[in-house]
Order: sequence, then C-alpha cells, then structure tokens
Amino acid sequence: MLKINNVSKSFAGLLAVDQCSFAIREGTISALIGPNGAGKSTLFNCISRIYPVDSGEIYYAKNRLDLLPPHRIARLGIGRSFQLTRTLDHLSVTENLALHTAGGFGSHLLQRGVTPNDKQRADEIMEFLGISALADLDMGSLSYGQKKLLDLGAVLMADPDLILLDEPAAGVNLRLLENIIEKLVALKEQGKTILLVEHNMDVVMGVSDDVIVMSAGRIIATGKPSAIQNNPDVLEAYLGRNT
Amino acid sequence: MSNIAVTSSQPSPKWDSKQVIPLLLLVALIALPAVQFFGNHNYVIHVVLFAFLYITMSSSWNIIGGYGGFISIGHNVFFGIGAFFSGFIFARYGISPFYTALLAGLVATVFGFAVGLITLRVRGPSFIISSIALLMIFRIVFDRWELVGAAHGITLPHNSLPVEWSKVPHYYALLILMVAAIFLSWSVRHSKFGLALRAISHDEIKSEVTGINVRMIKVTAFALSAFFIGAAGAIWADYLTYVRPNIFFIILIAANMVLMCILGGKGTVTGPIIGTIVMIFFNEFILAQFGASELNIFLTGLLLIITLLYFPEGIVGSLKQRNLLPRFLDWG
Repeated sequence: MLKINNVSKSFAGLLAVDQCSFAIREGTISALIGPNGAGKSTLFNCISRIYPVDSGEIYYAKNRLDLLPPHRIARLGIGRSFQLTRTLDHLSVTENLALHTAGGFGSHLLQRGVTPNDKQRADEIMEFLGISALADLDMGSLSYGQKKLLDLGAVLMADPDLILLDEPAAGVNLRLLENIIEKLVALKEQGKTILLVEHNMDVVMGVSDDVIVMSAGRIIATGKPSAIQNNPDVLEAYLGRNT
Repeated sequence: MSNIAVTSSQPSPKWDSKQVIPLLLLVALIALPAVQFFGNHNYVIHVVLFAFLYITMSSSWNIIGGYGGFISIGHNVFFGIGAFFSGFIFARYGISPFYTALLAGLVATVFGFAVGLITLRVRGPSFIISSIALLMIFRIVFDRWELVGAAHGITLPHNSLPVEWSKVPHYYALLILMVAAIFLSWSVRHSKFGLALRAISHDEIKSEVTGINVRMIKVTAFALSAFFIGAAGAIWADYLTYVRPNIFFIILIAANMVLMCILGGKGTVTGPIIGTIVMIFFNEFILAQFGASELNIFLTGLLLIITLLYFPEGIVGSLKQRNLLPRFLDWG
C-alpha cells in the first residue's frame, strides 16, 4: 500500500534519513521505532511531503507522494498527526474536526464552515473516541491528553485509508493510553492501515503487525514484533554496544 | 434540566435584535439624505459617506488581515488602482466611475491575485515590509507615468447636480459597496473557505496536511480583499474629482484600515465597522472642538492606546471574550 524506496533526506549536511526502504501492507498496523534522532519523524514528514526528499521515491497505490504537495497527499486518503499536538486553539472543537473535511477548493467557497454532515461526522468520531463531552468546549480549554485524542479524531474526520500517527501515546495517562490502543485496533478491524511512530514499547508490541526499526537515519531491521524484540542490531541501537 | 426543557419548548422568535437593529440602521442610512430637504447638511452626508468608505475598506482588509493573519500595510494600492482605472476611463472616454466601479474592483482583484502569488510566500514582518514596498513602488511608478498624468494625476469633471445633492450619488454608491463588503466578510467568516483561512492564520503546516490548498486560499483571500477596495477607489475618485498619487498611494490610508480593524476587533465581522465608526466620529468630534490642528492625530492615537489597553482583542473581540457583546453585534 505504502512503499518507501531508497529515500534520503539531509539538513545542512546532516543525513537524517539515509537510503530508507520498506513497505507497509494494507489493513495492518506497522510501527516505526528507533532511538531519539533516528530519523523517524523526518521520514514521516517526507511521506506527507512537509519535507521534500533529496532522493528516492515514495509510492502510495500508484501515486508518487514525493512529487505531490501535502494537501494533495491528504486528499488521496492519507491522514497524519504530529508528535506535538497542533490543534488550533482559537477554533472550537467541532471546527478543528471540520477542518479535515476541507475537500476541493470549490467547496471551500460555497459551503458553510461546519456543515450538518461535518457536525454529524464529528459527533460520531467523538462518540467513537469516548469524548462526546468535549464537543461544546473551546479547544484552548482542553488538557494535553484530550488534545491528543482529538488529534486522532481530527485525522479520522476525512476517513483516511492510511493513518500516520506520530507518537500517539506520548504524554498521555495510562487510562487514555488503553483507550488509544483500543481505538487503533478497532480502526485496523475497520480495514484502515496504520503507520505509527512510537517510543512506548508496550503499545508497539501490543498492537503492531510489523515493526520497522531505524537508527541514525537507516533502517536496521524489519519484521514481526517478536522477532524484533530479540534482534541483536535493535538491542545494540537501543542499549549500546557493550550490553 | 427543567429550564432546558422550558427553553427548548418555546418557539424561537422569527425576528430578533440580531436582524432587526441592523435592518433599522440600514433603513435609517437609506433615508438619511432626506435631511437635505430641510437645509444644506452636506457635512453630515460627507462624514457618513466617509465612514462608509472606510467600513468598506477595513471590512475588506479584515479578510486577509483579520481572518488570514497577513498584516498588509500597502492595501491602499488597490484603492489607487481602482481610482486610476475608473478615473482614466472617465477622463478619456467619458464613462462615469459609477458604471466602471465594479470593473475597477475586478481589475484590483486580478492584480491582487498576481501580487499575492509573489508576496504571500512569506508572513510576519517580511510580508509587512513587502506590502509597504509594493505601495512605494506604485507611488514611484504613478508619479512618473505620463499616461495617467504623472504626479499631477487626472482631473475629473464635477457632476451637474445642485450642491446640496451633489454628494448623494456617492453616498448611495458607497452605502451599497459597504453593505456588499460586509456581506462578503460575513460570508467568508462563515464559509469553509473562512475556516481554512482562520486555520492558516495560526498554522500553515497543519492546515496543509488536512487537505487545504494553503497557497490558493491565501492568494484568493488577498484578491477578494482587493475587490471592494478597488471599487471604492473608483467612487472616491469621482467624489474628489481628481486622482493623484499623493492622495491615493499614501500609507496613511492603509494604516487607517489596519487601525480601524484592530480597534474594533480584527477577525470579527463587526469589529471593522465599530472601529471605523469610533475612529472617524472621534476624529470629527475633536476637529469640531479644537479645530484643524495636529491635536486630533495625537488624541486619536491616545484613544487607540487606551482602548487596546482595556480591549486587547479590539472592542468587539474583547467584549465577545467577556460575554458582554450585544447580540446585534455578534456576527461571528
């Protein structure tokens, strides 16, 4: 479904992503893991074209994502969240969600900001995530954890086929974490494909079908969670050579 | 719970203050020129139509500056383009600016689109400087462009109406433009386009990955904001009976648009209206009390400082935050 082919990205001489290649299967949850600075978020940003790649190709179905602007990538059915929540606090909760149903340029000019369909979809998503009580609140009044859940909700608004989640479990409490894991599994059962960057190994090992490990910009291992757990290269990347 | 049940069971009134008060105001404004039947009240007509002009311009500026967050201090370029376009056609072909004002708005819009494609690549201080640079370039070009009279500009014929009725056509033309500009601002504020624009004003990357074509939305907003400013320029040229670069391409006009918007509450529909009314009538009051001196500029500046000290989001914005905004002013 998603194929990364020899992708490289550098910043002022620093090679953040180095010749990375892997593929994501449809209807699975894949986790992209690695120590801090491994290049995971950079690769995420290359997939959604926030950063243009230096070389390599990224395919989604038959589309070259590395040649498309970010808004076109979103309209192909790829939704993404950010490591640090980027909710828009000056908009209402419903407006934050409705933003993701922007559609084509013509609809922008002719439709109301929040259409009845948007409202209905937003209500359904908030119910799915168990946060219906937040519907009438201002975005700025929500806690970080609530924003994190709404970030996931916002990604779901456009009903994407491929969901990219950058550290969905970061900074959330245990109860919220269980809720997020439950929702990720439910989304997979609905046929969604998920690629997540995550540091929480309980989440990674608990929900992932495949794991891709990055270190110093390179892919050092790919495989099933059980195999990755015992991979000596992965242990070395995480724990150091002497352990 | 019982309160909710009682409230929801009552039918909502068909007309409320939100519609009635603005409509009554509009009727009063339509009827105002009738005062000329009772004497020469040209000063009243002048002040009110001057307010129409600036409400049109500040409401239009609010689309890109208030909703979009791009502070353009060169927006009167479109005012000048509209004025010179219609003024030139009037002087050369005798077609009144009343007939060409909308075309002048269209010319300003097309130009706004082209300029936006270049200048909206940056935001913040860089954008502000680029907007001022645009204004300076226009001033220099029109000061030297012989076809449109260079620094002397173009002189236009007076209308043939008696003096007490001579301002009335401009009054109604600017009233129509003002209502249309407010309607456009309201439409943008409540559309998906406006929602996208308000999102872009705070986070372009986030907006882009939600599927919004950020560049196209920004440029379109910039172009839309130019339309009624250009059309108003055409009518204002006819009102003044001359078009000169040193009248239309001065930063004071754009600064007024921005300050009126900020004073009333940028990013709100009624903020530019309230800000314009407060600034213009305060200025006129000071002029009436103390005569034409620099005191009015000093006191208007003082008014701005004091108001923004107590209303940091502008009058409408801050009242709304405190839930004190009268319902008839709450248009989003």
